[in-house]
Amino acid sequence: MQQPATETGRPVAAPNQRDTSHPAMDLADLPAADHSHWPARLLLTAPLAGALALWAYAMVRTDTSRLGDFGLVGALPVAFWIALALLAVGFWVCVRDPLRANGWSLAYTVGLIVLERATQALVYPTPLYSWAWKHDAVIEHLLTAGGLQRGDQLGDMAVYDQWPGFFAAQAALVRLTGVENAAMYMAWWPLVSSLLLLTPLLLIYRTFTQDRRLIWTAVWLFYVANWVGQDYFSPQSLALALYLGVIAVVLRRGERPARGRRSRQVLWTALLIPLITAIVISHQLTPVMLVASLGVLCLTRRYRDWTLLITLLLVFLAWNLTASLPFLREAVPEMVSSFGDVSGNLETGYGSTPTGTGPVIVSWVSRILSASVLLLAAVGVLRGRVLRHRARPLLLLAAVPLLMLVANDYGSEMIFRVLLFMLPGACFFAAAALLPAVRPLAAEPGGHGVPQPAVGLRFAVLPGVVLLALTAAFVPSYSGKDRLSYFPPQEVALVQQVFDRAPQGSLVVAAHRNYPLAYASYWNVQHYWFLDDEKSHVEEIMKDPAGTLARDMAAVEPPARAYFLLTQGQIANSEMNGMLTGEQLRSIEKSVAASPLFERVGRNSAGVIYELKRTDSSPGRTS
Amino acid sequence: MRPQSLAIRLLPPFAGWCAVGATTLPAGSPLRVAPVAVFLLAGPGAAVLRICGPALRRHQAVGPVESWDGGFERDSDRLEQLVLAAFLSVGATLICATALMAAHAFSGIRVLVLLTVLTMLAACCPQLPGRTRTARASSPPQKGSPL
Repeated sequence: MQQPATETGRPVAAPNQRDTSHPAMDLADLPAADHSHWPARLLLTAPLAGALALWAYAMVRTDTSRLGDFGLVGALPVAFWIALALLAVGFWVCVRDPLRANGWSLAYTVGLIVLERATQALVYPTPLYSWAWKHDAVIEHLLTAGGLQRGDQLGDMAVYDQWPGFFAAQAALVRLTGVENAAMYMAWWPLVSSLLLLTPLLLIYRTFTQDRRLIWTAVWLFYVANWVGQDYFSPQSLALALYLGVIAVVLRRGERPARGRRSRQVLWTALLIPLITAIVISHQLTPVMLVASLGVLCLTRRYRDWTLLITLLLVFLAWNLTASLPFLREAVPEMVSSFGDVSGNLETGYGSTPTGTGPVIVSWVSRILSASVLLLAAVGVLRGRVLRHRARPLLLLAAVPLLMLVANDYGSEMIFRVLLFMLPGACFFAAAALLPAVRPLAAEPGGHGVPQPAVGLRFAVLPGVVLLALTAAFVPSYSGKDRLSYFPPQEVALVQQVFDRAPQGSLVVAAHRNYPLAYASYWNVQHYWFLDDEKSHVEEIMKDPAGTLARDMAAVEPPARAYFLLTQGQIANSEMNGMLTGEQLRSIEKSVAASPLFERVGRNSAGVIYELKRTDSSPGRTS
Repeated sequence: MRPQSLAIRLLPPFAGWCAVGATTLPAGSPLRVAPVAVFLLAGPGAAVLRICGPALRRHQAVGPVESWDGGFERDSDRLEQLVLAAFLSVGATLICATALMAAHAFSGIRVLVLLTVLTMLAACCPQLPGRTRTARASSPPQKGSPL
């Protein structure tokens, strides 16, 4: 029978063979490492060291100048994939021993987070995602204005001044560190925000089991299944970490108090108020998820204490009835109409249909990844009667986000957000499906719950293969669409030219908002993205591009100017999401270029800028 | 008061004033960024936890039913302290920055000074009293269940 080894490689009795008159010792209590067992240490260290070395080599060799339909996947050298495989196999070799010191699993998990979330920061010279650039613009606005502004001054963008927590803190960070703007560091935010999730996740899982394999495998699965890209520079990335922090503390401390012992609950609630306040002032959806999660926990006998839930509701209502009331006043009718429309809330909207071989395959890989983890979770729940009973609160937390599908479509993103909030609970049960079943304490001689060893093909080898496959599937799911998320420095420079020359009140017209700095100076410069408009108007533009666009732009009064901007980010997004093809967009550009109404004022390898000429006979003018 | 407790008490506000001093260094310099980041990520939360520490330790947390891992509970408590120190600090930063924005009195240094002053106030507060630790609660199933 295979025997587990300690971190020194020293074989010890299998857990179920150990003298159970004493509870098994913590690794910290074991004798100091025996350095004569260096081959075992080498076996554990070598995959991690090798993976990091290969990854570093791959980072130098990756050429992102010509991304294809598979995004970063097509640009990564073989060394990256070997590094990822080494890491996953090394992790499983390490973690399958139930007595292995936590430090080893921690090192491998941090290695995974670095490979997953730091790769893009290293291979791309500019930050990814137009939404991240938008958040940089919001911070610039707060720094320029020096305070929050009302809706009538900012239009649609006023919503960010009504949930300003994240942006205000980032504005402070920009000033305190002295960097030029948040774009200087926001490429590293996915790494930071992912690392912030690690401690609360561990704490949540450690509330329900002492089995280190289960804890670390669940953490690993969470990081490989979390491909939905909400870790970018955004309020929700920070709000998720705070949410998990609150849940972790509640699961450990939120028991229904005994009579006359409410002081304990008051103290814990008081400590959590800054966290829930920070969530409420930063993000719209996360407090709603937190209300649902705390509510479902209150339905269980153990956690039937309403103190924190009522406190959260009071903070939530206080904010929503004051600071964010202008937005809610407009949004509530739409929220009411979408309530209960599950099929409508599941739709992902126009302009989000993967188009072309690469995007379709990538889309399926990400779906298969999510489906596999959820299927494993279902197996874990059905198979593990004991664990299902012990970790019932976690099961409820995994299920409750599904209720949000009934409530709202959240800008066609609800399905992704639901998946994200399900993952912490689902991954715990998915990990349980890969490991030997948890036994009742009474079924074990010592009654201490010592985990059973993972032996045989089913438990020693198969889980490693599953982890390897899921880890590999993360890469295309997370970075397979980088062709539309990455904006080369030339594109940034071209768009910057527009804002360098645009007087106050100017208008920038583009096909789509998928380009860097798309919201720059939004408090001074207006934007119009014609692919957001009615389909009939897009057809009108296709029939007479220059004439229609000139009419759309003609209302701008001097000294303001009107610009037409077409960049490779817009073309990639339009093509890959089933809107206009690249050929159609280029035909629009050709029409504008040939028109006497427009004048080209900028061009480089990433795009082109035209300015509407100021003439008295401009189409649409009243003259 | 023992010198060690005094040092623990004064460390968070001292870190805050170090961060304030570091803002005079050149923009983007690691010597400027590191003290600011460390204080914003841990300072205010550590000061609050010093006050509440003994009271928090009065009751043991819910934990797994297994009992084979001797140091497990201690490590979980430490992780909890880490989560609270970091997230209380981050929460305080978000709230202070938002409050100053709402009052149209925002500046980076004001946020930092406000947090440092709050941290100093927390360092001046006495610790909440603690009592004998109660029995550890296990995660569901309830006490006595063979599961």
